[in-house]
Amino acid sequence: METRYVGKSVPRVDGLEKVTGRAVYSVDVNLPGMLHGAAARSPHAHARIVRIDTSRAERAPGVKAVVTGRDVPYTFGGMVKDQPFLALDRVRYVGEPVAAVAAETELQAREAARMIRVEYEELPAVFDPREALREDAPILHPGMADYWHAPIYQGIPGTNVVTVRKLSVGDVGRGFAEADEIFEDEFYIHPVAHTPLETHAAVAQYFSPKDEYTLWSATDRPYRLSRELAAALGIPVNQVRFISTHTGGGFGGKGAMVAEILAVALARFTRGRPVKVVCSREEELTASQTRHAAFMKLKTGMKKDGTFTARSAEIVWDNGAYCSLGPDVAWRGVLTIVGPYRIPHLELYSRLVYTNKEIAGAYRGFGTTQVTWACEAQMDIIAHKLKIDPLEIRMKNAYVDGDLYINGQNLQNVGLLETLKKTAREIGWGEPKPPARGSKFRGKGIASVIKPTATPTDSYCFIRVNHDGGVVILSGAPEVGGGQKTVLSQIAADTIGVPLASIVVPQSDTHYTPYDMAVASSRTTYHMGNAVRQAGEEVRRKILESAGRILETDPARLDLAEGKILDESGRELLSLPALMDKMFGGKGGSILGEGHHSPAGSPLLAAFPEPRRLRHFCSYPGNKTFYLYVVPKGGDVSADLETVLHAVPKFLDSKKED
Amino acid sequence: MRIGLTVNGELHELEVEPRETLVEVLRERLHLTGTKEGCGLGDCGTCIVLLDGSPVNSCLMLAADAPGREILTIEGLAEKGELHPLQESFLEKGAVQCGFCTPAMILSARALLDRNPAPEEGEIKKALSGVLCRCGSYKKIVEAVQAAGKKMGG
Repeated sequence: METRYVGKSVPRVDGLEKVTGRAVYSVDVNLPGMLHGAAARSPHAHARIVRIDTSRAERAPGVKAVVTGRDVPYTFGGMVKDQPFLALDRVRYVGEPVAAVAAETELQAREAARMIRVEYEELPAVFDPREALREDAPILHPGMADYWHAPIYQGIPGTNVVTVRKLSVGDVGRGFAEADEIFEDEFYIHPVAHTPLETHAAVAQYFSPKDEYTLWSATDRPYRLSRELAAALGIPVNQVRFISTHTGGGFGGKGAMVAEILAVALARFTRGRPVKVVCSREEELTASQTRHAAFMKLKTGMKKDGTFTARSAEIVWDNGAYCSLGPDVAWRGVLTIVGPYRIPHLELYSRLVYTNKEIAGAYRGFGTTQVTWACEAQMDIIAHKLKIDPLEIRMKNAYVDGDLYINGQNLQNVGLLETLKKTAREIGWGEPKPPARGSKFRGKGIASVIKPTATPTDSYCFIRVNHDGGVVILSGAPEVGGGQKTVLSQIAADTIGVPLASIVVPQSDTHYTPYDMAVASSRTTYHMGNAVRQAGEEVRRKILESAGRILETDPARLDLAEGKILDESGRELLSLPALMDKMFGGKGGSILGEGHHSPAGSPLLAAFPEPRRLRHFCSYPGNKTFYLYVVPKGGDVSADLETVLHAVPKFLDSKKED
Repeated sequence: MRIGLTVNGELHELEVEPRETLVEVLRERLHLTGTKEGCGLGDCGTCIVLLDGSPVNSCLMLAADAPGREILTIEGLAEKGELHPLQESFLEKGAVQCGFCTPAMILSARALLDRNPAPEEGEIKKALSGVLCRCGSYKKIVEAVQAAGKKMGG
């Protein structure tokens, strides 16, 4: 299809409000009568709460509400319902919210929160997930057996293991027996903070006659969070409305309720006054979420020629105190610790383990990043030992079209060999090393990655064409900074045949915009993009049918381009606004289209019918090379130049190429 | 205490507390929320505004110290509805992602271009080093500043 906008560089559609300072982020929301909330947080990693004295805080200036776990005795969690709004009987990490205060100003709220006295009885704590696996380890969640959990997230009650995920392919015993050489290595990767420039923030308002909550939040998954919160509160989704603000950086971290939960807990007790909670930078770094740290053991069997015979892998994820989206991270790690390589026999074992630390959750890559580090580091160890070039060993084992990925997906448009070759050319692979700069020596590396997407998952949208030809896309995928609105506008403009400037994409609002799983997992352009295309095709068809009736012509002989009805020779017959005017007889009206996309049922996914295996399927392999400056005796290693190449069939916005 | 603050060419008579920072007064009292507060510690730079043409971290400055100075925030940059060349270039070059750092980046660049309309890449990087962009738009931001400088006759 010839496109006017897709594949072209266009200014982002939400750019004007951002360069003028008018974009409203969660921290900017300001409502009449709004109060400010602050939390009192645990100074202990693990302790029983003996008593909480809030009396001084209640009398402090400006204070309107003080709440503890007793006032909001709910737990939440989309995969395992293990997290209290406010600590109930015990605290499980330093920084866990124990009580919260709403006051006229933020300063008053923070000062009053400091006046809350909590008596604790300290419990033994555990900070290393490997120690947390020992039989004598302190148990964080003795009540785990009673927690609600989605059926696939099976933990081991009585231990700290909240999820076990396994995958076997072939017969590893046979694979290792066939190996000429077996490599056993252990890797550790540390936690990482998302550090969005906009800290977690939210505003909540409660309307008691209807038991109804409205939230203003910068989350990337408003619909999922409204469902999660409704489930926690035991009310219908219609009574939990999420209005998306702009997002000042999320990187996965805003898929979890952090400020939202505190704002909701307080808003119940402020007689209808909205409550805003903004995390301080310190709270953001200590009491929001991190990327999972992981301990990984890899055992890999190789033939002398550099082909794989088998791999077994064991991953222990440091989940922190509550599991959030960790159970799926544990699964994603299983699916990607094999890299984009053909390995005939596999046995993969992944455990998600509670520790008395900040919660770990979704972070860009969602487990892929951690295990790819182990997989690719071992690839280099293997290449070195077998005296095979690191590029060559990757090329030798790389997936090609028609290979079955370990979830059974028939891989197509893989492009890995081509990107490896191109990358090698770009960085002068095999050429002599660049000279040292002073005491710094320069080296080169190359790595590949396979990155699946959470799917089959669903995206829905509506498109409305107004009586004057303007187009509104109602999509549940909020703009989180990645250009979501721009890409969806480009797709709609081309599909319908209208100018980009005639399209608006309001931020999502769960009262109006239909379901979307999340702006996450690199899924939005494909899933929501296809939903937009489908809805766009419907309104285009309706417009052309009306034009055919009005112009007394076969609609198949008409075209709609840039908001103009054209005949077969490309001559303009009518503008879209003029057509709409005739359609609606000079009155108002709307043309509506709807779209839904899920790749469920794709023939590429047919090899393994068991649906849970398919939950993550492979979107794009890519590879990465880097130059390093290494100081021989010191610890100063810095990435100097990175070349990142991905095999991508089509760029929707050409600016994103680099 | 009572102070007069000149923000974007307009004088505001305000009753503030002595401990209130400039960013608090801009955001909470004047509702100029284009200026952000990302850390409150002078590290992230999202609170940068221009004070008599020079960038300052408004989270580290008391509002009470600002009277008599010309304060420029992002809301005051577009004149009579016309975008400043920096705002145009940030759009054209794709230098905006989440946008949270954008006001501070643009204002820091404005201070540089006022001094030197044709800066070298290194000078731009130095002038913008007080603001963090977590989305990683730095490369496009530098290009946008160079393009704006050219538009401004540099």
